[in-house]
Amino acid sequence: MSRAPSLEAPAQRATTAPRLRAAALRCSGILGFAVLWELASRLRWIDPTFAPALSTVVVTIGRLIASGALLTHICISAGRALAGLALGLLIAVPAGLVLARWTPRARLVLDPFLRVLSQVNPFSLMPVFLLFFGSGELVKITTVGWVAIWPILFYTLTAITTVDPILLKTGRSMALSERELVLRVILPASVPTLFVGLRIAAGLVFFMLIAAEMLGTNGGLGWLVHNSAMNYQIPGIYAGSLLVTLLGFGLHRGLIALERHLSPRAGAALPTVPGARRPAAVAGPPPRPSASAVPTPSRWSAVAEQEST
Amino acid sequence: MDAVTAAPSKISLRGVTHSYTLRRPHEGKHTFQALGGVDLDVKPGEFLAVVGPSGCGKSTLLDILAGLSIPTSGEVLIDGKKVTGPALDRGIVLQGYALFPWRTTRENIEFGLEVKHVPKHLRREISDRFIRMVGLEGFEKRLPHELSGGMKQRVALARALAFDPEILLMDEPFAAVDAQTRETLQDELLRIWEETRKTVIFVTHSIEEAVFLADRVAILAANPGRVREVVDIDLKRPRDAAHLRTSEAFAALRHRVWTSLQQGNRPE
Repeated sequence: MSRAPSLEAPAQRATTAPRLRAAALRCSGILGFAVLWELASRLRWIDPTFAPALSTVVVTIGRLIASGALLTHICISAGRALAGLALGLLIAVPAGLVLARWTPRARLVLDPFLRVLSQVNPFSLMPVFLLFFGSGELVKITTVGWVAIWPILFYTLTAITTVDPILLKTGRSMALSERELVLRVILPASVPTLFVGLRIAAGLVFFMLIAAEMLGTNGGLGWLVHNSAMNYQIPGIYAGSLLVTLLGFGLHRGLIALERHLSPRAGAALPTVPGARRPAAVAGPPPRPSASAVPTPSRWSAVAEQEST
Repeated sequence: MDAVTAAPSKISLRGVTHSYTLRRPHEGKHTFQALGGVDLDVKPGEFLAVVGPSGCGKSTLLDILAGLSIPTSGEVLIDGKKVTGPALDRGIVLQGYALFPWRTTRENIEFGLEVKHVPKHLRREISDRFIRMVGLEGFEKRLPHELSGGMKQRVALARALAFDPEILLMDEPFAAVDAQTRETLQDELLRIWEETRKTVIFVTHSIEEAVFLADRVAILAANPGRVREVVDIDLKRPRDAAHLRTSEAFAALRHRVWTSLQQGNRPE
């Protein structure tokens, strides 16, 4: 009677065939679009001068790779995007923690101001940014960092103020110091919500980065697109855009993988509502057999596995 | 002086009161008294259950014992020393499990040991022992959401026991699990209590649970919360669920506690 029921029994692994089929189904939208793109250009539904076929774009990418220039552009853009995100994280997470945890009154006062400030478009202030940060690397990273700060800050505030009180109570009952409480309870509990902000920030960072790179003249994918446009190299524009898209997608996936690593729990994207309040399962069978069907429980991970090639 | 009165109390509550001040926009300040003078003594190794109508301050009382709330007046003594805050001499188990969702069964159980800076190999040894004690072998690497309600509560119990507190404070720990699991958990709690001999204060709203588990049942009255009566449960141990629950002595005690609670519920 005292032994807990075994959970080992249910099917260990979903069979491969249905999973492959599901993956194919998920990719079919992208593949369909690629085929349509190719056909539309080849069959001259649209003017190939303005919209070269996908194969032409791929050939252009191949040429750029061969010349060695592309890798440099990619590294420059990815570097700036990551630097911007890092800047956002380094400012927003500590600021959010301090505001939400230690200075609730300041938060109350500052909140409307911060909401207004977050709406400031760095491009409208670009001349000011240029004055302050020069026209080099710094201005690009600060521009990008500026947009990254806000979603991370607001989601950090939400994350820290919505940590399940029962977890805080448990921590406090074990005589944790404030520092330990923050490190061992509050921050880990905030990871899922914080990552929602981080993913939004990553999206914004890419939008901003490409625009910022068009203003400068020293490399990066945005510069590649801009430069191609200036020289009427239309396939170059598409090649650059395609790569920007892929890079953004890669970053998004990377963040999901990181989140899965830091906070391995199901429904990671859903903030509050801890599983604790779920109606209890009946004594016998395991609560959710699906938990053992997918070894890594994140909802996102299932998607990631299916899509990875 | 005979042996019983000479035995020092593990926990003493002396005239403990607790009041909240509520400020409402149009009604001004309100003082709400949750506890109005609680006196209670608990002997070392005793299992005391606390029952009472909702709003009698059961949870407030437990918060005060845990050191999470400070009494408005009166004091709580543990081994004769005044309680001024939380410490690892008391472990708590709460109704909502309160497991850290990012930690596995083992990591949850080792939480208090990490706080105490117990070295890793020792932590491992201790958590192994408690995983066995609560019957969760094979589930060490599960995350809380992969466990059933009953299993989560076992983890919570093991976590509270692992850092070896002298006192276990339990706030309706089995309220969220189904009836069958609940009875199993009660049996196991008694077995573990007999193995470890902690002093237990167990808050519940189930009379049956209180009578089955405890040496004494403290019945609280509401508005403000205070001890109405303490009933001795002189049923022999170890308690055998199958026989005890249907026995006449058990029914009589259950009825006795119920009657006392009814009086408490009557408006005064």
